[in-house]
Amino acid sequence: MRNLYFVLLAVLLLVALTATLIRFYLRHRRSAETSWQDLVHRLVWIDRDAIATIALDAVTEEGELRPHGDCFALDSGVIWNLLGGLEGLEVIERNCQVLVELAAYLQRFYPEALVVAEQLRLNAREIEWHVSRLKGAAQTGNLEASFANYAQRAVVIYYMMTRHVLTLYDQAQFPGLAELQQAI
Amino acid sequence: MMHLTGFDLFAWAGGFIGHVVLLFVLLVRGRARSFPFFTAYIAEQILSTSVAYFIFYHDPFRVYQTSFWGFEGLEEILQLCVFYEIALHVFRPTGVWAQDVKKTLLSLVAVSVVVDALLTWLAQPETPRVIQRIVLRSNLFAALLMSELLVGMVVLSATVGLPWKTHVSRIAHGVGIYSIVSVAVFITDNFIGIHRGDHTGREIERFRYLVYLVCEVYWIVMLWAEAPAPRELPAAMKMQIYTLNRQVENDLRRIRTWRQH
Repeated sequence: MRNLYFVLLAVLLLVALTATLIRFYLRHRRSAETSWQDLVHRLVWIDRDAIATIALDAVTEEGELRPHGDCFALDSGVIWNLLGGLEGLEVIERNCQVLVELAAYLQRFYPEALVVAEQLRLNAREIEWHVSRLKGAAQTGNLEASFANYAQRAVVIYYMMTRHVLTLYDQAQFPGLAELQQAI
Repeated sequence: MMHLTGFDLFAWAGGFIGHVVLLFVLLVRGRARSFPFFTAYIAEQILSTSVAYFIFYHDPFRVYQTSFWGFEGLEEILQLCVFYEIALHVFRPTGVWAQDVKKTLLSLVAVSVVVDALLTWLAQPETPRVIQRIVLRSNLFAALLMSELLVGMVVLSATVGLPWKTHVSRIAHGVGIYSIVSVAVFITDNFIGIHRGDHTGREIERFRYLVYLVCEVYWIVMLWAEAPAPRELPAAMKMQIYTLNRQVENDLRRIRTWRQH
């Protein structure tokens, strides 16, 4: 009987490991074959003006925190409307992944871009964390209390990420900069 | 003395020649600097094959068994070092551990050890001698651990969005495929056990040797080839990129510490 349990569990584990390995290998291959155009097309439209309004309520164009008394004028309801609620944040979350891949794409040709790509990756993880906190708050009925704080942080990080990706492409003198500016 | 078949000699010689060529590639193409543990693993394979061959024909079988055990232990340790080396390449993209993976990686190791210990405890192969049972179970444990760690690392790197460089991904492909095949072989071995006059286990083992030989050839070809050449950035642009990196880093730090109202 014990031997039977062993075989069942071991074979299940083996199948799971093999399937996972194949799935991620295929995903990696698809990602390696992705062209720059494909990446840009994966960016989902989001109201840039709304993003800038929310972000610039907290930071300056240069990313410095605004002085006390000159910031955080937008309340929770306004931020919610400008963003389009949690759906808007989910779009930001998905776009962040594309921004990270755009930085990684440049890194294929210019390894020096690695440091920026890694930093942008950490920014994207931070946004994921904020969005997951908000989703958790939505489930427990505390969304209103947390929304302004976490959502605005996520938007500021996203706003700065878009600017940094554009700067990175500009510095590398990449030919598709104008198209990227339009898409972002 | 144990009788060696034509296939045994072929696998022995093929593996040995493959390792010598692979070591030559690692040294000549300068990969040994980036992958010292993998190089040490290949060197250990050459040494163990040579010593085992000499002892097999010149010393009592008991001496051969003792040396076999010694090298098996060393091989397991080096395999774990190779895993660590792959993790260093993937999860330390800028020379320091990526902040968001260290805990997950340690959890992966801990969970893998527990799952493997449980499965190894469940396995009860029937064997004429106790030592054979220990061999079968320890082989299973080692193969399970390597394959789980490799698969876990692939999933983790994809989840957090860390890319794999050319050569480290080639080494991992070989290690991953060989480990998965080894798990399949050792599950079968532990299930059927060892019985006098029954050579099923030995036949299955041959398949594992063949897969390893294919992996050796794959490593030789892939590690001989150069990774795609990067474009050279002017010094001024490099400086701009490092400045940009500091900006991105500072932005995140500022945003994390802000206090609203």
